[in-house]
Amino acid sequence: MYRYDEFDAALVRERVEEFRDQVERRASGALTEDQFKPLRLMNGVYLQLHAYMLRVAVPYGVMSGAQMRRLAHIARVYDKGYGHFTTRCNIQYNWPALTDLPAILSELAEVEMHAIQTSGNCIRNTTTDVFAGAADDELEDPRPWCEVIRQWSTIHPEFSFLPRKFKIAVVAAEKDRAAIRTHDVGLQIVKGADGGTAFRVFVGGGQGRLPHIAQEIAPAVPGHELLAYLTAILRAWNLLGRRDNIHKARIKILVASLGIDAFRTEVDKHFATLRQEDLRIPDAELTRIQSYFTPPVFADLPKTSAAFDRAVLADPDFARFSRNNIRRHKQPGYASVIVSLKPVDGVPGDITDAQMDLVADLAERYSFDEVRAAYEQNLVLPHVRLDDTPALWRELLAAGLATPNADLVTDIIACPGLDYCSLANARSIPVAQALSRQLGDLDYQERVGPVRINMSGCINACGHHHVGHIGVLGVDRKGEEYYQITVGGSPDEQAALGEIVGRSLPSEEVAPAIARALDRYLEVRTEGERFIDTVRRLGADPFRDAIYETADAVA
Amino acid sequence: MKIITANRLSDGRVIYVGEAGAVVDSLSAAAVFEPEAADAALAEAAAQPAVFVNPYLVEVTGHTPSGRDRLKETIRSAGPTVGNSLKHREPA
Repeated sequence: MYRYDEFDAALVRERVEEFRDQVERRASGALTEDQFKPLRLMNGVYLQLHAYMLRVAVPYGVMSGAQMRRLAHIARVYDKGYGHFTTRCNIQYNWPALTDLPAILSELAEVEMHAIQTSGNCIRNTTTDVFAGAADDELEDPRPWCEVIRQWSTIHPEFSFLPRKFKIAVVAAEKDRAAIRTHDVGLQIVKGADGGTAFRVFVGGGQGRLPHIAQEIAPAVPGHELLAYLTAILRAWNLLGRRDNIHKARIKILVASLGIDAFRTEVDKHFATLRQEDLRIPDAELTRIQSYFTPPVFADLPKTSAAFDRAVLADPDFARFSRNNIRRHKQPGYASVIVSLKPVDGVPGDITDAQMDLVADLAERYSFDEVRAAYEQNLVLPHVRLDDTPALWRELLAAGLATPNADLVTDIIACPGLDYCSLANARSIPVAQALSRQLGDLDYQERVGPVRINMSGCINACGHHHVGHIGVLGVDRKGEEYYQITVGGSPDEQAALGEIVGRSLPSEEVAPAIARALDRYLEVRTEGERFIDTVRRLGADPFRDAIYETADAVA
Repeated sequence: MKIITANRLSDGRVIYVGEAGAVVDSLSAAAVFEPEAADAALAEAAAQPAVFVNPYLVEVTGHTPSGRDRLKETIRSAGPTVGNSLKHREPA
């Protein structure tokens, strides 16, 4: 994985010292909250319902054991013994004291981590396929390109005061495992005309109160011109995007109002100049960055593993785990293992300090010192020998990290909601917990197959409810929590926004209503048809009927 | 009736204006004001920026939040209703 050079190290160190001074001035009263707020936001610090919240960047979701161990240490020493992984692959701490923040950021800097650009109107953490470098269907490892984007976008002077936040995701396979079309810019690595790396570029996706699926703006931008093209997109938006209304400031609004063709014309105008300038990525620099991502030294192993096969036969629980949480790897004899942060009755994305320490150990022992954060709020050990998976599973099981539900219906994506967030209208976590209890039977979950439920506590859509196969949105009805259900959303290469099925439901009705919709699916599906395929074939009506069959819905 | 709440500058924790302008961390210890007196008390809290961050008024009946934001204010006063923070006691 990437290691800081002297520029990265100096930049992060200087930022810690600058923020230390700002915190001291705030604590002494020399800075008002209004003066301090934009400064703290530039360092990932929010003020939430109960406390300050610190969001730490996990660049494209990649961490070492030492970094994970440091995250555990921070949870233990400065917080309440846990952290929360987000849909941007970052980690949030819910309880740090303002006066501890400089010390926390110092400790993070020691392991090459920071909280820069995890908030504010700037380019946020670039995300990618959690199986990057391991998946057998990728054209190349997308992470070096994510690192190129990270270096280019970090404290970029032109893009430090954008109309609104800006998010980029990169994939390198046809299968979109990073929800790129829900992003301001989505990049898909394709083969260029010259056989080299090129980028199919999507622009104008986003969720929130006005959701849009990104549209294709360019079929194949040559790799060495990627930064020129991204700069052109951002410059066009920075010049033309609205700043008068926060709800209309994202690039999706500009793209939708101009139309993709007119927006492309604007971008091409800038690109024509920019591509002639020094934004071309030098081959030597790209090679240098790529060298940090060379595959680990895999052992030469047979495709199958006797230890794995024996464990599957001997232990039905391991067999279930292997069916759901172990994924194919490009290297024979290896696999990627999904560490579920979605136990029944748990908080999606939460992990304790002890669990983080264990995952750090397991990454070092079993996965070439690498662990990934998935946008689905799970962790992944990307490079595990099949031979080692039974032993790894036993350790995960003992720590409550082996719920065999990856991509199943209790693998729920949820924002923190009104239990923590000052923007929320309703709680998310208790509804996710009720769903996990109602739908927790593992035989049932496997019978139902892959279904993603996404849960947001307000229209800002941090839980990506618009693109959940089933989406749940918390709304406020005269001080009471109600939940609106959508069906048919999809975050992948067939990205779609879900359809609102009807009136919102009180919280206790949500889990039974969704259970009825899933039962209806089991009745009407054809052989081998996934839930989302059935919705696409039949539309939302059968599920609407099931959801409202017995529910006492209110306006 | 109204109470005054804010987040504490040093650690962000939820605080209230108590009797005689004291800073208290429990809603049950918050001073309850008539509407006219509430505005003056709010101004007093706002004049102490080294303690009170973003002070505002909350509608209450007795010591129970009663306005449109009653659920939010109840959660603010009692902490998250679920999750890992419940296992962890705040240092006194």
